[in-house]
Amino acid sequence: MTASSSSGFRNDLVKTIPSLRAFAISLTQNNDRADDLVQETLVKAWDKQSSFQPGTNLKAWLFTILRNEFYSQMRKRGREVQDSDGTLTASVAIHPGQQGSIDLKDFRKALEQLPEDQREAIVLIGASGFSYEEAAEICGCAVGTIKSRVSRARARLQEILGIEGDGDYGPDAISAQVLGSTAA
Amino acid sequence: MRPAARRGSAKEGGKADGLGPNSEIGRKLKQYYDDLVSDEVPDRLLDLLKQLEASEKAVSRGAKGDA
Repeated sequence: MTASSSSGFRNDLVKTIPSLRAFAISLTQNNDRADDLVQETLVKAWDKQSSFQPGTNLKAWLFTILRNEFYSQMRKRGREVQDSDGTLTASVAIHPGQQGSIDLKDFRKALEQLPEDQREAIVLIGASGFSYEEAAEICGCAVGTIKSRVSRARARLQEILGIEGDGDYGPDAISAQVLGSTAA
Repeated sequence: MRPAARRGSAKEGGKADGLGPNSEIGRKLKQYYDDLVSDEVPDRLLDLLKQLEASEKAVSRGAKGDA
């Protein structure tokens, strides 16, 4: 029995906890529920550790477990999973006092208004540092679906926060166009 | 307006969707997330892992039956 390998696995889990918590909080919008979710995730990951292939992306593997756990809990609670495809959700506009300066609290409120699928997509891509391919794998959907969710999330946030044409200026946006980023 | 922090970042994930340093949404999203990541990890989560490891050792040392 290699006790050292399970210690190594434990250390790797410990290192991932802060980002797992951040993702869990962004999903649940509640710190206590998020910690419960992370706890469940760690137990599941521990039980399934033999199915994890060393050398592959542990963080993505753990995010997948956490996300599956989140949605299965939602289903158990009988809560309908929000699906933004084809659903119109009323969004309450938040207008920051000063143009161009958004309070973090306002941003959080705006993020909370997004449907879950859009929120998780924009968080995975814009903050957790996953590629579109990884995010698609975590969410069990196509890369194109992630792309469209991210762009709808971004548009919705701009709308709620009253930002116009954000990201359309500057070298990044221009080079993105030159590189032929998807217009869809 | 702050200058772009890095060059050639349009190739990176997210940047092509206007979530890069030139985007207010992109910056706020990062700030929101980094804020959460820097929270202290609750002891109960760290304790849980210690327990899991300890119980695994106990099992492998002891009976060979099912868990």
